[in-house]
Amino acid sequence: MKKISYILLIGFIAFVSSCEIDNYDWPEETLKGRVIDVATGDPVLTDQGSEGTRIRLRELSWDKTPSPTPFDFWCMKEGVFQNTKVFKGHYNVRIDGAFIPLLRINNSGDTIADETKYIDIKGVTEVEFKVQPFLKLKWVGTPTVNQGKITATFIVERAVSREDFRAKIEPMGNYNENFLNVTDVRLFVSQMPYVGYREWDNRYSVEKGYSGTSFEAELGKPVTITTNGVIPAGRTVFIRAAARINYATEGIKRHNYNETLRVEIPR
Amino acid sequence: MKLKRYIYTLFLIGGLIISSCSDYLDVPPKNVITNDDVFANSASMTVYLSRMYSQMPYEDFKYSPARQFFDDWLVTPGTNEGSSLGRDAGEAMVSEGWARNGAYWTRAFELLRDANRLIESLPNYSGNFEVAEYNYLMGEGYYTRAIVYYALAKRYGGMPLVTKMLNYPEQPISELEVPRSTEEETWNQVLADFDKAIQLLPPTSSRKGGANKFIALSFKSEAMLYAGSIAKYNKITGFGDKTGVRVIGFDPNTAAAASNKYFTEAYNAAREVINSGKYSLYLNKWSANDKNAQYQNMVDMFFDAGSKENILIKQYSFPDLTHGFDSYNIPRQLMGGNGYSAGNCPTLDFVELFDGINKNADGTIKVFDENGKYILFDNITDIFANAEPRLKANVMLPGSEFKGETIDIRRGIYTGSVAGGINPLRVVNGGAPDYSISGPSNYNQVDAYTAKGNYSTKQLFLSRDGSNHEVVKLPNGSDLNAAGRSGPFTADRTGAFTGFVIRKWQNPNMPQALVLEARSEQHFILMRYAEVLLNAAEAATELMIAGKALPDGANATDLVKDYIGQIRLRAGANAITANEVTSSQDILKMVRKERRKELGFENKILWDIRRWRTQHSDPLNGSTQADGAWYRGLYPFYSTVADAYFFDAGFEEARKRFRIGEQEYYFMIPSGEVAKSPVIDQQPGR
Repeated sequence: MKKISYILLIGFIAFVSSCEIDNYDWPEETLKGRVIDVATGDPVLTDQGSEGTRIRLRELSWDKTPSPTPFDFWCMKEGVFQNTKVFKGHYNVRIDGAFIPLLRINNSGDTIADETKYIDIKGVTEVEFKVQPFLKLKWVGTPTVNQGKITATFIVERAVSREDFRAKIEPMGNYNENFLNVTDVRLFVSQMPYVGYREWDNRYSVEKGYSGTSFEAELGKPVTITTNGVIPAGRTVFIRAAARINYATEGIKRHNYNETLRVEIPR
Repeated sequence: MKLKRYIYTLFLIGGLIISSCSDYLDVPPKNVITNDDVFANSASMTVYLSRMYSQMPYEDFKYSPARQFFDDWLVTPGTNEGSSLGRDAGEAMVSEGWARNGAYWTRAFELLRDANRLIESLPNYSGNFEVAEYNYLMGEGYYTRAIVYYALAKRYGGMPLVTKMLNYPEQPISELEVPRSTEEETWNQVLADFDKAIQLLPPTSSRKGGANKFIALSFKSEAMLYAGSIAKYNKITGFGDKTGVRVIGFDPNTAAAASNKYFTEAYNAAREVINSGKYSLYLNKWSANDKNAQYQNMVDMFFDAGSKENILIKQYSFPDLTHGFDSYNIPRQLMGGNGYSAGNCPTLDFVELFDGINKNADGTIKVFDENGKYILFDNITDIFANAEPRLKANVMLPGSEFKGETIDIRRGIYTGSVAGGINPLRVVNGGAPDYSISGPSNYNQVDAYTAKGNYSTKQLFLSRDGSNHEVVKLPNGSDLNAAGRSGPFTADRTGAFTGFVIRKWQNPNMPQALVLEARSEQHFILMRYAEVLLNAAEAATELMIAGKALPDGANATDLVKDYIGQIRLRAGANAITANEVTSSQDILKMVRKERRKELGFENKILWDIRRWRTQHSDPLNGSTQADGAWYRGLYPFYSTVADAYFFDAGFEEARKRFRIGEQEYYFMIPSGEVAKSPVIDQQPGR
């Protein structure tokens, strides 16, 4: 009898001691941020997804592995980002998009400028990045619809001057004047409000390619594009214009955007 | 009494100590094979080597990007390079092993360890072998390491250079963690290992499938062409987060010199193979001005194991080692018992590369006359009647003969009037013909089928799939299914959904009952003389563009014209014209095009378009693969009124979208490997 109660006791102790609480708190801090054009104070609009503005967190206070594994997420199309599931700690926050890189490294691998943020994330932490986008796009007037085709007009202009661009990019090595050339201008159409390079309907969207400096004369002037195909009557679509220069940040040539417009195709 | 016990205890302890001092119990365990057993003689080395060769990363019938090496399910070479599309395959290669087996990264190190053990241990046993055999074995060790690092470098760029056996637990962890080297150092390691192998290997193999000097030279030329192209054309580079090492791309300050060095190495290696006179283009059945003989010659060369063109083949034999190429790729009408068919349908874009086809000014096939009406052909084969024999050996065209049957490829039947010509089919709701990507994606959407717009009645008939046909009564009273027996069909992709089926590698003598998975045993040619000629020609052209004289003093233009000319003559293609060789850039264009035509479906072009860095940027039917692009097909229709055929060319109906970003030319390092190691860097920026 005594033996049995001993066994039961041992069993109970083992059971209870394995009920230990997980030693880690939930990730419940929030990181909020905005990406702002340093010249105008306007938000830098972007695509949603890997060709848009990427936020990369590296938790520097983490010492269980030799170097922290980068944690990436993407900016919303309005140029704001938020992540409500971040572990408390000290972080390096870096963003990459269609603007002058914040972390600039030269040909021999030396850091020549580091404008990324080193912050403690605790509670709701807000950051604001002031960047120099490559291009700025603005709608002109209201898009018109005719026979299922949308005609929209917008302006593409430089948001960073040639000189500023050169001053920042040239020290990184292998500078080429054609980095600044606008290579393509697009009008994206989608049935989703998240329209952009990752979400466009290829039946209607339009791409105009430009070689060399051929777009230079069009900068600052209205560009008018009419969509392809015929969008069925009664549909609601979302459009936005985009353009990019011949320069890749983190291996990807990214577009600058204007804001999304909702267009109803009349019945 | 007490003393007695004490003495006994002493005896006992003493006995234990003394007897354990003897090592007669210290015998090597019988179930572990040691170096002494392995490096003992030729027979034991054969066993060791066969294990190595069975892991060799050769891209043959057991390689597909989706399933990586050593997996022959749904193998359809060509479907990722744009030469063809398949129901289960057909997309740009942005990673490897996504369907199963994962990245090659982890598998590679197993073979690498075997190679390193051989290179490190064999010198201690050199007494067991004759000098010639010893050198041969060492050469195979270096050859294996070169092949492994070549396979890795083209996938990942800079690799950890593990050139010694790592011993765990003897060595501390810190010594076992090897960081990635630069991409340049990795290619230099490939070069050094190939050179060692070439120096040590004999000119002929003594084992089937084993390495020899010329195999090593041929693969060296291919690898160095890759390295030279990366140094020249790659635009993405960066430094690893953990080590600060330039793990991908070349230092822009030295890239030009590196590219010239590699192109020179590629040229010299290829020339040594050519000058040896050991190999030649396969011409056994070839006959000048006889297109049929030239076609038959190009079919046979893939099955003749004794072909002088073969430098290295991977052999298969039922039931020991088999694959399922025929089962997956057979035309629908000859389908075997496992129910697969037409896994590899060539694109019209590939077909248009060939000569002997009536083309428009932009190089696309001519299907409309000057009034924009379909050209009518009495026989379905007429449109390709004069096509280059090499095309017919690569692709089953509508009406081709295979295994004694006519391959019946027809999209549908048109019953409308032909007075004044037949209008383009891709019209919806009476609009203008729309052959853009916004146009109808399937013929069941067009007006002739739905009886809308200008069609008051249904005049186009299609088949839903291989067993559900719309049947048309012909003027002579007989019935005809809308689609051919090999498709294409409206609702499934088991037919020739681009209008073509692959011909290359298909065994013409295999009875239908044996067209099964794991039943095929034809060999795969891993390296053939034609590629060596193309390697030499491309390296010579690149050196010419760089303004360098050829190292052996040959004239680059003459040499390229000679080599490309030989290949074209054998293929029955047109001779080189003056405007193909006006500038060195024209010559490069010609060499690259010839490569695509000659080596399609051989797992080579996929890597070529990657090393040229053209896959994401080359214009493809009005778009680029950076944005997403589509290939085209050619769809035959039969007109009952005219008793003739016409062809509709346009985006293929499956609308397989190819998309690749520039950074995807380097595969990601498996994230688990990056997370667990203090030194392994992920690709910069990813």
